[in-house]
Amino acid sequence: MRFYAPFCLPFLIGVAVMFSLIVWKYVVWFAELPRADKKRVLYGIPTPRTLAAVWEVIRECLLHRRIFRVNPLLGYMHMSLAFGWFLLIVVGWTETVAYLGLHWVPLQGHVFFRYFAPPLMLRDKPFFDFTMDLLLLFVLSGVALAWLKRFWSRAMGMRRTTRHVPGDRIALSALWFIFPARLFAESITCGIYGMGGFLTGGLGALMASAFGRSTLVVFEQGAWWFYSIALGVFFVALPFSRYMHIFTEIPLIFLRRYGVRPHEKESSGDQFQIQACSRCGICIDPCQLQSVLGIDNVQSVYFLRDRRYGMLTRDVAQNCLMCGRCQVKCPVGIDLNTLRLNSRDTMRNTPDERRYEYFAGLDRSEGAGKVGYFAGCMTLLTPRTLSAMERIFAAAGEEVWWADRNGGVCCGRPLKLSGETDSARRMMEYNTQLFRRHGIRTLVTSCPICLKVFREEYRLDGIRVVHHSQYILEMIEQGRLRLGRGMATYTYHDPCELGRGSGIYEEPRRVIEAVGALLEPAHTREEALCCGSSVANTVISDADQVRIAESVAGELAATGADAIVTACPLCKKALVRGTSSVEVCDLSEIVAKNLR
Amino acid sequence: MARRVIIVGGGVAGIQTALTLSQRGIPTLLLERESELGGKLTGWHKLFPSFTPAHEVLDELRQRLNGSGVEVRTQCEVCHVERSGVTLASGERLAADAVVVTTGFTLFDARVKEEYGYGIYDNVYTTADIERMLNEGRVAMRDGSAPRRIAFLHCVGSRDEKVCQHHCSKVCCITGVKQAMELKEMFPEADVFNFYMDIRMFGPGYEEMYRDAQQRLNIHFVRGRISEASPTLDGRVQIKAEDTLTGRPLKMSVDMLILIIGMRSNASNAVFAADAGLQCQPSGFLAPRDLFLHNTESNVGGIFYAGAVTAPKNIGESLSEAVVAADRVTEYLKRA
Repeated sequence: MRFYAPFCLPFLIGVAVMFSLIVWKYVVWFAELPRADKKRVLYGIPTPRTLAAVWEVIRECLLHRRIFRVNPLLGYMHMSLAFGWFLLIVVGWTETVAYLGLHWVPLQGHVFFRYFAPPLMLRDKPFFDFTMDLLLLFVLSGVALAWLKRFWSRAMGMRRTTRHVPGDRIALSALWFIFPARLFAESITCGIYGMGGFLTGGLGALMASAFGRSTLVVFEQGAWWFYSIALGVFFVALPFSRYMHIFTEIPLIFLRRYGVRPHEKESSGDQFQIQACSRCGICIDPCQLQSVLGIDNVQSVYFLRDRRYGMLTRDVAQNCLMCGRCQVKCPVGIDLNTLRLNSRDTMRNTPDERRYEYFAGLDRSEGAGKVGYFAGCMTLLTPRTLSAMERIFAAAGEEVWWADRNGGVCCGRPLKLSGETDSARRMMEYNTQLFRRHGIRTLVTSCPICLKVFREEYRLDGIRVVHHSQYILEMIEQGRLRLGRGMATYTYHDPCELGRGSGIYEEPRRVIEAVGALLEPAHTREEALCCGSSVANTVISDADQVRIAESVAGELAATGADAIVTACPLCKKALVRGTSSVEVCDLSEIVAKNLR
Repeated sequence: MARRVIIVGGGVAGIQTALTLSQRGIPTLLLERESELGGKLTGWHKLFPSFTPAHEVLDELRQRLNGSGVEVRTQCEVCHVERSGVTLASGERLAADAVVVTTGFTLFDARVKEEYGYGIYDNVYTTADIERMLNEGRVAMRDGSAPRRIAFLHCVGSRDEKVCQHHCSKVCCITGVKQAMELKEMFPEADVFNFYMDIRMFGPGYEEMYRDAQQRLNIHFVRGRISEASPTLDGRVQIKAEDTLTGRPLKMSVDMLILIIGMRSNASNAVFAADAGLQCQPSGFLAPRDLFLHNTESNVGGIFYAGAVTAPKNIGESLSEAVVAADRVTEYLKRA
């Protein structure tokens, strides 16, 4: 049996180029991983995590469960293309086995089986004819949706879709033609030999009766050539295009299961994340820079694209609120914020050694309690919160060690967010030593920005770090704070760093419900909007920040609540600038006001 | 038939416009939101640089108005402005052949700069509070005692990106100098500090006054803004600032912190602009047709401006502009 025809060449070359490039990329990225990450992978392989990863690959790479959850139509499109194509390959392989037994059949023999089958005088197997045609129809429905998405994205539930680079356009065009080309090539062959299922056989018979069998014979070779070229072009373009995600999501899932994640410094492992981005553009719609300010070239999809092709500018890297709204929607689960942070680190980490000399011997703290309170810079700039906390601590009978009431050193997160990692580290070390020296057991902060960095970057073994919303709730539950519940209604704005950033959604709500009624805005919890004044964005102007704040405050005020409550001094300052009609206050203020 | 002009806002600019128009025999209706005419000047004690009592200016304007035949309606808030007339909050519509918008400005709300503790701590005041206290004849700390150290902070709500007030309010520098001198003369033993970014002495006699404040009264001027304020246990205010001339941070406890608040554009400007197709500047102040030959005309025929509704101005400038606006209105009515 010979499974060769000249038209197979473009396909074979394409496959060879694609796989060598992909393997080369993966080998290089893995080899350049930090030692600790390599160890994690090696130790992780013989554990149940491998099985979990396999299951996740099936769920995500084939079925696209997460996209389904965000957007069902888009999920169907991805599933029909990925899972459909996968089944075409698997069932196609089974089909050749069914015909020929377990004989070695070269790759092109499987792929172009319809072409090679008639000369082999194989009898029809109606089950495979039907199944293969059904699968082809499944994939074609996905292709049709892809066309629809490109020309009319709103029909797919997306306001905006991604703008692509040339490599993407070549691959995309080739991909669009692969399955229609396959349909025609198979139909023509089926038409000539009078075989095939309902789709290829039907279309083949139709064409045979319309044009005559002899015409089809003339076109047969051309059609198969076209199909092969479409495949070849797609495969060659794939490693240079967004379609690299088809394969890269698989190692990414395994690496993630083994605990390999992006760090504060760039590493080759980041490439597994960056090149697993399918540029689906789901991250564009949630971005408030886009929806409020009309900035449409900085979203995660463009950041990853620019970084991948080495054309990342500071403006794109820095122009992000890091609110995390896109990250919760990302169907690939890419660690978007960390990747942006380590890009910023690469661009901006220029420590000034002498700038922090004043830390030596500095200690402005006061008090001697086992509970420490760290106001943070933003709370010091919103003194209503600070004085409310003073009253709350007094009411709870807590002896407090005040870390920075008379001024202190920044927690380091703003610098870290801007990429000045080493300078941030200096501050973290200073504060860590300060906390340790005073022997505190609990550290309370009213700033979610500080909270996040204390929890994630500081090594504070033996010190429990809590947000003031958590602390207040504990005090209420222990009966140490007695509150009067009034008739006032409140709406709550989830701060990004507290909610999506630290997973604290419940505690502030329960504290609010202890003093009044809570009204939820349209976007809440994981979906909550960003106040717009994030310290992570050093590009947009204050006027732009206010425009975002106005849109958010408008949504909060639409609940009809008497006051907007938040649990972050920065959010509070932002929202105050965005509204003149509704009072904006910190959680601690309404608690202090309702103390009994 | 004589044509009627409506003037929206009875501050100094509005009164002067009305007076000039009525002198020319044009029927004029002056609308004022508050119960008495005079606008912001009613709350002021003395005017820079001559320390002229504000009421002297105001009394004379009111006197002239009484004999002028200008129709005045107070407690009358205008909600909508069009070239053909205005609509009041009550829903009443008043027709006019020309409208002059003289609604002035809004004082910056110092509570927005929460870090300075206005409305939170005792002994933090604004320049408007000080004028009121001077009018009442008693300036004192919350507990009634005389201040021994006073700090003025310039540019609160002016030239401040953080609160989206990019513009310079122009008259606050000299106001700060004036009040510093008044308080120093009232409390000769007290140390008086002015924290500033730039001192802009644009008017006649201002620079001389600034020099006098330093040389004769020994008022201290520190270049640097205050970053934050906090209360001390004994009810004073601790401020943190940077002396940018020496490049050193400084901390100081003061008995009074006085915030020199700037001028911001009225929220109504945007409403009027939307009603009548008027143009606003990025600062929110209404935009005159140009800054030179048509500085009291709007981009819409029949609607005119005078005073601080187009930009921060001092009393003298507002009064002169009012005469120009009246002149342009007269011309417009003749042509129409």
